[in-house]
Amino acid sequence: MNMSTLMQYNWGSMMPEFIILITAVTISLIDLFTTKKSRTMLVWFALAGVGLATIFLFLQLDDGVVSILGETFRLDSFAKAFKLLMLIGTGFVLLLGLPSKDDLKDVKGEYYYLILTALLGGMMMASSADLITLFVGLELLSLSSYILVGIRKTNHFANEAAFKYLVNGGIATAITLFGMSYVYGLSGETNLYAIQSAMASDIVSDNRFLIVFAFLMIFIGLIFKIAAAPFHMWAPDVYQGAETPVTAFLSVVSKTAGFAIILRLLMVPFVFAPGTGKVITPEGMSFESLLVSVRPYIAIIAILTIIIGNIIALRQLNAKRLFAYSSIAHAGYILIPFAALSEMVFEVVWFYLLAYLLMNLGAFAVIHAVTKEREDVTIASFAGMFRRSPFIAITMTIFLLSLAGIPFTAGFIGKFEIFMSALGTEPKRYFLTAAMLLGTVLSYVYYFGLFVQMYFRPSDKKPITISAGVTAVLTITATATLVIGIFPSTALTFIQEYFQFMEVFNQ
Amino acid sequence: MDYVWLIPVLPLLSFLIILFTRPVIYKKAGIVGTLFSGAAFVGALIVLFSHLENGNFLVEGNWLSIHALTLTVGLEVNPLNALMLVIVTLVSFLVHMYSMGYMADDERFATFFGYLGLFTFSMTALVLSPNLLQIYFFWELVGVCSFLLVGFYFYKPEAKAAAKKAFIVTRIGDVGLLVAIFLLYWQTGTLELDGIFSAAEAGELTPAMITLTAILIFVGAVGKSGQFPLHTWLPDAMEGPTPVSALIHAATMVAAGVYLVAVMFPLFTASDVAMMTVAITGGVTAVFAATIALVQNDIKRILAYSTISQLGYMMLALGTAGYTAAVFHLTTHAFFKALLFLAAGSVIHAAHEQNIHKLGGLGKKLKGTALLFLIGSLAIAGFPLFSGFFSKDEILASAFSNGSYILFGLALLTAFLTAFYMFRLYFLVFSGERERNEEIKESPRTMLIPMMVLAVLAVFSGFIHTHWFGTFLGDWLETTPYPVLFSSIDAPYWIMILASALSIGGIALAWFMYAKQSIPRNWLYGSMKEVHHVLYRKYYVDELYRTVFVKGLYALSYFWSYFDRFIVEGGATAVKGLVSQLGKTGVKVQSGQVQTYSAVAFSGLVLVLLVIAALGGYFQ
Repeated sequence: MNMSTLMQYNWGSMMPEFIILITAVTISLIDLFTTKKSRTMLVWFALAGVGLATIFLFLQLDDGVVSILGETFRLDSFAKAFKLLMLIGTGFVLLLGLPSKDDLKDVKGEYYYLILTALLGGMMMASSADLITLFVGLELLSLSSYILVGIRKTNHFANEAAFKYLVNGGIATAITLFGMSYVYGLSGETNLYAIQSAMASDIVSDNRFLIVFAFLMIFIGLIFKIAAAPFHMWAPDVYQGAETPVTAFLSVVSKTAGFAIILRLLMVPFVFAPGTGKVITPEGMSFESLLVSVRPYIAIIAILTIIIGNIIALRQLNAKRLFAYSSIAHAGYILIPFAALSEMVFEVVWFYLLAYLLMNLGAFAVIHAVTKEREDVTIASFAGMFRRSPFIAITMTIFLLSLAGIPFTAGFIGKFEIFMSALGTEPKRYFLTAAMLLGTVLSYVYYFGLFVQMYFRPSDKKPITISAGVTAVLTITATATLVIGIFPSTALTFIQEYFQFMEVFNQ
Repeated sequence: MDYVWLIPVLPLLSFLIILFTRPVIYKKAGIVGTLFSGAAFVGALIVLFSHLENGNFLVEGNWLSIHALTLTVGLEVNPLNALMLVIVTLVSFLVHMYSMGYMADDERFATFFGYLGLFTFSMTALVLSPNLLQIYFFWELVGVCSFLLVGFYFYKPEAKAAAKKAFIVTRIGDVGLLVAIFLLYWQTGTLELDGIFSAAEAGELTPAMITLTAILIFVGAVGKSGQFPLHTWLPDAMEGPTPVSALIHAATMVAAGVYLVAVMFPLFTASDVAMMTVAITGGVTAVFAATIALVQNDIKRILAYSTISQLGYMMLALGTAGYTAAVFHLTTHAFFKALLFLAAGSVIHAAHEQNIHKLGGLGKKLKGTALLFLIGSLAIAGFPLFSGFFSKDEILASAFSNGSYILFGLALLTAFLTAFYMFRLYFLVFSGERERNEEIKESPRTMLIPMMVLAVLAVFSGFIHTHWFGTFLGDWLETTPYPVLFSSIDAPYWIMILASALSIGGIALAWFMYAKQSIPRNWLYGSMKEVHHVLYRKYYVDELYRTVFVKGLYALSYFWSYFDRFIVEGGATAVKGLVSQLGKTGVKVQSGQVQTYSAVAFSGLVLVLLVIAALGGYFQ
């Protein structure tokens, strides 16, 4: 590769990534050369970077598929859609960190550039078309997150959380890599599209079991990021130990990146791969496709995740642990369209992640606002919220209604879409929708328990003052939750207009 | 027309403003509410005139489209709902204005105006809906609002019970409507009126299905419009403040039922059985309620039964294919019934008494109110040249030309009874002399002006549709975008003369009995004590319901309560125990040991791989 080919690349397609990278580097330099001054400047710098990257992403919306760097970097609708979610989510997380609360007191500038590098990793996960670059993105996100979780160096819980996260993440990565090695061994390729073509070869069809093993290994390794069963157990401890904005980042941005890599890494190469089951047709015997073979396993994981998340959430008293389990349950819901193998899977997952971003980030913003003096936020901390801060109580009501999937909120539309996607396939997946309904009903218990606290329990605590950043996040997310719930076609037409998700399969 | 959405939004704004600034604006809430509803009325007038000029208007957008499922939302203006908009906003505006005087001393003055705004919003939005989903949503919202307003004096146990009854009884009807909506969606794949009617026309629905859905929709209308046998809530709803009764009876809640049948009229006309059901229910209700009204003693209750009876009239008209007649009577009825209720409110406001036997001789003290009440009574009695005369005549003609002579007879009988009981009421309250200790004062101007406006309309609104010099309303209604069947009415003149005679006869009889008292009041009572008693107890329907349903339900509920305690609760406890046990186990596994976490993840992986190896035939 010489200089001239390097210059010919359409580098503009990587503009958002470049901006995030440059911002992160600049912040680290500023942090290095300035003394312990106010970190306000750094936040604004990081926010400006994220904002600028979002603007460039919007400018790219009309571009077609661009593939550069030897087909390793790929900008298609899928990448744009998921990067958009991650950028918006990170923007909200940064806003939460506007320094006014004391819970980020001993955090240095690294907090800001680590969030940005984590975001960069996530964006690479959405936009890579090669096993190597995908893995590098995954590791960049993971390593940054490990440090973010333990960023309060002197805090016992934070240290424990970071340690658990690291160990579990290591195991997950090992399993994923092991699975990837099979794929490489069978296809001889690292490029996803090359693997897709190689799946038709005789070697692969002679080793159908191995390819199914490989698929399941990669999948189970990757569900660590989305905290689905059986790789969910780290989530409550880590969510509890980390700073609330970091928790929000893990539960929203990191999870979005996890779904991005699951969809791309598992749908693209394996879409035409042969499975294990035999299909007998009048023309003779053939093999079903791999995605059909593995469907029961994905379905079982989805159902288990929904049930485990919701049932254990019933017994939680700590607000962050409660929302950790609730976010496990939501990961289960999002796995349903994947398990149903509906052709709508990309739209449905993206839309639900959008709704989830709004309502979950909002809920964590509320927890962040309620956090006082390092004391744990429990369910009882919400007592009398309507008297202490009507604004928080009303916005939290909107988020909870949305999380519970009540009509006229974004969460309802998201759940409804998942529902329709499971019923829109032949045969209809009634058991998946049944699991989802059951989970939703269980979730009413703990979501509505918070209503009781907020509206009917007295409290002698003082009114809560909230920072400008939290106010902004709460206002935007609550408004968007309602607007999307009442006018869902705004978001749905946006998807149809700008995102041709099926592009993801085209070479 | 593009701004038609403002009409429901204005009252909604009034509701929201009053809701959020309630402690601050307090007494000014009346002015806020009145201004906003006045603006909505002006808007409705503009819409009406622009419809006369530009014709129908429909704007729709997709609310949600997933796969094959598409739900639309929209706004529609056609002759029927343009007319309804004007009626609803006008009556609402006048009621707002009137309430500023009537409710002046109430502690929850601002809340009251807030509810009125919400009520007006729901009804206007219902009227503008072009699909069943929206109709159902606002239909329920109208029900909620009437619950709030009927139970406005919630500290009175009767009011609380009445609100509950209104809500529950209408809910019974709503179930019918909801089932009909599901059936129609299942059969036609759309909830838009347009789509449903064209599917029905194209024969996509079996005749049995059309009949079934039409009757189920009618069940919803029976509940809302207080038709027999779901009429029991309407008289009890008198416990609400009187302006609310005016609003409920003239323009909103009960009109919604008739409106619904009128909207779905193309579906009804496709089924003779459904039409017959509507006509018979209407005719029976008309006579039934009129006979009860003969012997009631509460001024508002008499009016309530007259509403039921008049709504029965409208249903009768619809059932005999008299679309125009029904809509016409809905219009004139809105004006004179609102007038009557407001005038009754004025009497109650002045005399603090609702029993007509304890009232009397008020004609001299309340000259204005007496005159206005007289106009209202003449209109409802169908006295020649008053509005009720024309619309009632249209209904009689429609029943006659449809060939249903029994129903025609019932309608004639009702016309006579109506004239009689209304003037019994009028003479008992206003004529004669009576000594009083307290001073009776005429109501303030904010209350009289709305009544005067209504009185003018009660006199003249009949001229919008007569066979003498122009069937303007009928011609205009025919520009509807839907395949409504307009039957040509060809009725002999003697019907009009007969109706006038019956009306005047009823008035005269009342005059002789109650004003001049030349016929003893109890000349009939003496010979027909039992009948009187049955009528006074409203045919014992409430008692019947109490015995059959409430007592029956008690008996049933004992059974179910045991069933519930031992079987359901046992099951629920078991499920709850299971869930909480599972939760406990889950929490226990969540030990905080990172080794456990890894072990769980690993075992999960191993399990999945073993299963696929076994099922996939790897070991074979």
